[in-house]
Amino acid sequence: MIDQDKTSSQKNSELNIVPDNALVNGVILEIRNLGKIYRNAGHELTVLHSVNMDVHAGESCAIIGPSGSGKTTLLGLCAGLDQPSQGHVKLAGEELGLLSEDQRAALRNRLVGFVFQNFQLIPTLTALENVLVPLELRGQNGEEEKAEALLAQVGLKDRLDHYPTQLSGGEQQRVALARAFIHRPALLFADEPTGNLDNATSEPIVEMLFRLNKEAGTALVLVTHDPALAAKADRVISMRAGRIVSEENHARS
Amino acid sequence: MPAPNSQNYNPPPTKLLKALSHPWVWRMAWRDGRSERKRLSVFALAIVSGVAALTAIHCVKVSVEAAVDVQAKALLGADLQISSREAYETADTEFISSKAESLSREVAFSSMLFFPEADAAKLVQVRGVDGKFPFYGDIETKPSAAWQLIQQQRGVVLEASLMDQFGLKIGDTVKLGELNLTILGVVTKPAPRSSRFSGIAPEIYLNLNELEATGLLGTSSLSFHTLYLKNNNAEQIKELRTTYASKGWRFETPEDRRDSLGKTLDVFQQFLGIIAMVALILGAIGVASAIQTHLNRRISSIAILRCLGCPGQTAYAVYLVQSLALGVLGALSGGMLGILLHVSLLHIFKDQLPITIEASPQWLTAFTTTAIGFAVCTAFTFLPLSRISSISPGRALNNFTAQGFKQQGRSLLAVGSFLFIMLLILAWFNIPDPKRAAGMVVGLAIVLACLGGTARLLIFLARRLTRRSWPYLLRQGLSNLHRPQNQTHLFLFSLGLGAFLLLFILLAKNAALERITLSDMKDSPNIYLVDVQAGQLEGVTTLVKKLDLPVLERAPIVTMRIKSIKGVAVRELQEKGKVPRWILQREFRSSYRDNLSNTETVVAGEWSTNYDKMLTTVPVSLEVDMAKDLGVILGDELEIDIQGVLIQAKIASLRKVDWSRFNLNFFMLFPSDVLKDAPGFHIVTTRIPEGSSSGQLQRELVKQFPNVSAIDLTLILETVNSILQKVSLVIQFVVGFTLASGLAILAGTLLNGRDQRLRESALLRTLGASTRQIQSILVVEYAALGFFSGLTGVLLALTAYIPLSIWVFESSAWPGVFLPLLVIAATTLLSVLAGLVLSRGVCRHSPLEVINSA
Repeated sequence: MIDQDKTSSQKNSELNIVPDNALVNGVILEIRNLGKIYRNAGHELTVLHSVNMDVHAGESCAIIGPSGSGKTTLLGLCAGLDQPSQGHVKLAGEELGLLSEDQRAALRNRLVGFVFQNFQLIPTLTALENVLVPLELRGQNGEEEKAEALLAQVGLKDRLDHYPTQLSGGEQQRVALARAFIHRPALLFADEPTGNLDNATSEPIVEMLFRLNKEAGTALVLVTHDPALAAKADRVISMRAGRIVSEENHARS
Repeated sequence: MPAPNSQNYNPPPTKLLKALSHPWVWRMAWRDGRSERKRLSVFALAIVSGVAALTAIHCVKVSVEAAVDVQAKALLGADLQISSREAYETADTEFISSKAESLSREVAFSSMLFFPEADAAKLVQVRGVDGKFPFYGDIETKPSAAWQLIQQQRGVVLEASLMDQFGLKIGDTVKLGELNLTILGVVTKPAPRSSRFSGIAPEIYLNLNELEATGLLGTSSLSFHTLYLKNNNAEQIKELRTTYASKGWRFETPEDRRDSLGKTLDVFQQFLGIIAMVALILGAIGVASAIQTHLNRRISSIAILRCLGCPGQTAYAVYLVQSLALGVLGALSGGMLGILLHVSLLHIFKDQLPITIEASPQWLTAFTTTAIGFAVCTAFTFLPLSRISSISPGRALNNFTAQGFKQQGRSLLAVGSFLFIMLLILAWFNIPDPKRAAGMVVGLAIVLACLGGTARLLIFLARRLTRRSWPYLLRQGLSNLHRPQNQTHLFLFSLGLGAFLLLFILLAKNAALERITLSDMKDSPNIYLVDVQAGQLEGVTTLVKKLDLPVLERAPIVTMRIKSIKGVAVRELQEKGKVPRWILQREFRSSYRDNLSNTETVVAGEWSTNYDKMLTTVPVSLEVDMAKDLGVILGDELEIDIQGVLIQAKIASLRKVDWSRFNLNFFMLFPSDVLKDAPGFHIVTTRIPEGSSSGQLQRELVKQFPNVSAIDLTLILETVNSILQKVSLVIQFVVGFTLASGLAILAGTLLNGRDQRLRESALLRTLGASTRQIQSILVVEYAALGFFSGLTGVLLALTAYIPLSIWVFESSAWPGVFLPLLVIAATTLLSVLAGLVLSRGVCRHSPLEVINSA
């Protein structure tokens, strides 16, 4: 069901109840004819050419391609961080184009988790406080135990009160993982999660990412240029010059 | 299926007011500010000086007003004071006395007082008083009974300064005119005086009835006659005023005194208030630039928060809370400092004030000024805060070139309007006249617009004019003026505005002081001998010459009033408010002569002593500004009352007079024949060489011509100078506050650019640049910024000063080159020094440290 009426959609988003029938055939993310053109001083740069894809609930999906192939742009549009030039994105049945910036933010807060290449922890908050942000934003206080447990799960039991600058890259990314899962999102976007890490450090991160994905039943959209990492996902989508060039399904476990 | 906690889900607030009550916002604001609390608090202090100055100035005003309110009667000493330049008719005095519960009379005039033991003389103001004056308040004397004593026995009470100067003690004798008087005491708190009887010479008091015996009555042109009435029946006072409305008398009640004091106070408070206001605005700009720096460092945090689902208004609320906290901190500290200043100022000057002012805080006023300081500061911080809503969450993604979500135009307009309204309120608080307050804000806006325009021009020129052929270090330094994240605007707003204010205030102060300096007027008189009677003229001239002093000028003086202008009685004109009051009430001291002096020139009509003696109208020459005030032109007629005799005068010429030379000049000048027989006296001027004393002249004069007063201009100017020194000290004190704010924003500006410059310099170092090269680049950039800020400020100050000097101070419009060049040099130097301090930071940290921390 697509709610075309904006006011009613607004109402829905304010009530923040995902209608059960929103996930048509279990599709959490639906992308149709999505395109993005950057215009700059008379120059036009087409970064995405009418991309179509679906991501199902609980599924893990890797987007792979060389630098400049449009992966990160696609991810940003999927998460409603930017406006497409054409086409639409539906996240949990809500068409992002019909939502205001704040409604998209609320939707992200409710359903989406993020892991970034450069960790993107808030430098002024401790590890524990960083993890708590998504919950506290929605007014859920006193969840420290939950956050501590999650941090313990990623092996940072003793670093709760450390600031990001006091943590190594691997540790920062583990905090970011805990933050991404604390509010049990329906969909997790990971942008080159191991891009800034060496092999030895990446390995446990990747393992954790997929484990949490399975345990929490979170759908995972993973952008990477590392084929080995991509191979761990249920589905691998290859991009080149702003287009999807191939799609490969692995057996679902 | 994932299990989003949809039942308990409570979305983050999207409205600002809701966000402000959301606990996370406060928690986040606290956590986010933790690492920079010290730094931000220091910047909050930028508004301290402005708020403190504003608070102190307004509290002092309120305290004084409150004290004057309570003590207005004591300031006047009576319910009604009537003063006149002429003695009252007995019938009038009797009538007035019949309307009063009690009446005191006073005759006051300037005269020479002779001190036989010291063989010295000095010009004093003699006040002969009878009756029970003052009816309200006290006159304090040592011994305390001295004031009562002069009403009972022959004697005099002097000011302490006279006792000290001539080594006198109580019981000694002084000689006033023909009369020897015993010193009965010293006055410590003087008697209330008529407001137009200004204290240039020290005062002495004696019984009115003794004056007759001095032989001085009637010979002094500088005398005042005052009646003090005790009568709290307002109707009767009103009746007296109407009965004698046509006399040139001045009536003053405690209410009048309070109002005129209030007006004087207002002028002073407004002037200082404007300076304080500028200090506050500079401070608020400083706080805003600190917030801007802070937000620049938080852009990625804000983007992450928005990625995690934080609505724009919630993110905005976090930083709004922080800046509100800064505003509260700064305003409260300023308010408290202001209260402290107010109380201690009143305490320090307690003994030097004519009224008793309680040195207790004015809480309500302090609260108002603190609130205004807070509001203005907040209005300014809205400028950087408004950018928050345009920070895209896409920035959190690597290499993601997302565009801003919102256009800033609308919010900027709202913020700008709010700021304008806040500034209007601030200006209106200082200057209660809405037109002038608006003018003040518009003027400030013009100055800011000029500074902003210059910054744009500079950026444009730096981009266009830098040539590849120039040495790399110079090119790099100048290019920093136009590159992204340049500091050109901030520097012009801080240093440029600072230079403008500083130079303008300095120039205005100098111009005001220049008007009263005598030192370079070698041939101008510095001693006036007044009240020389016709028969004494030759004698006085001979005496002056005998003492080897030059007789510079001699002029006859006739006192007169204007009765009607172009056939309309002055009373009517006065009621219509067409002519300034002073001209109509004034007793003009005019002269007659055959030739013009070299300090006056005829600008219209003809100076002529030949006129038709058969006609009843006589020609008169008016000073050009006075003619303008009277609204008369050549050929218009005036009716003039010369001590009871009416004459018709026709304006034959207009003269421009250089009053600053202290030569004998007059508003009205007549040909000799007309006034020759009119009663009057003469003035003789001379010049005592610098460093010499006028003592001998005064001594000789008082012995031979006791009625002649020697007015020593040097002494008067010293008195005026010392008053002006005190005033200028107060002004400098307040300007100091402005400078403190200016320095605070300079520091803010520097820190603002510091991160960027540090990173660039670290990169250059990584690429092999030497410390020297990095320093050179920074010096070029900061020298250019300092120089152009200084230059713009100086040009603006000169633009504002020139009309002021021409029309207000009537001095030379050319301010000289020294001061402007000094200000430009100082701003450049300050800026370069700041740049060098910054480069020390660059060279102390390792490049890796800087790059990693970025």
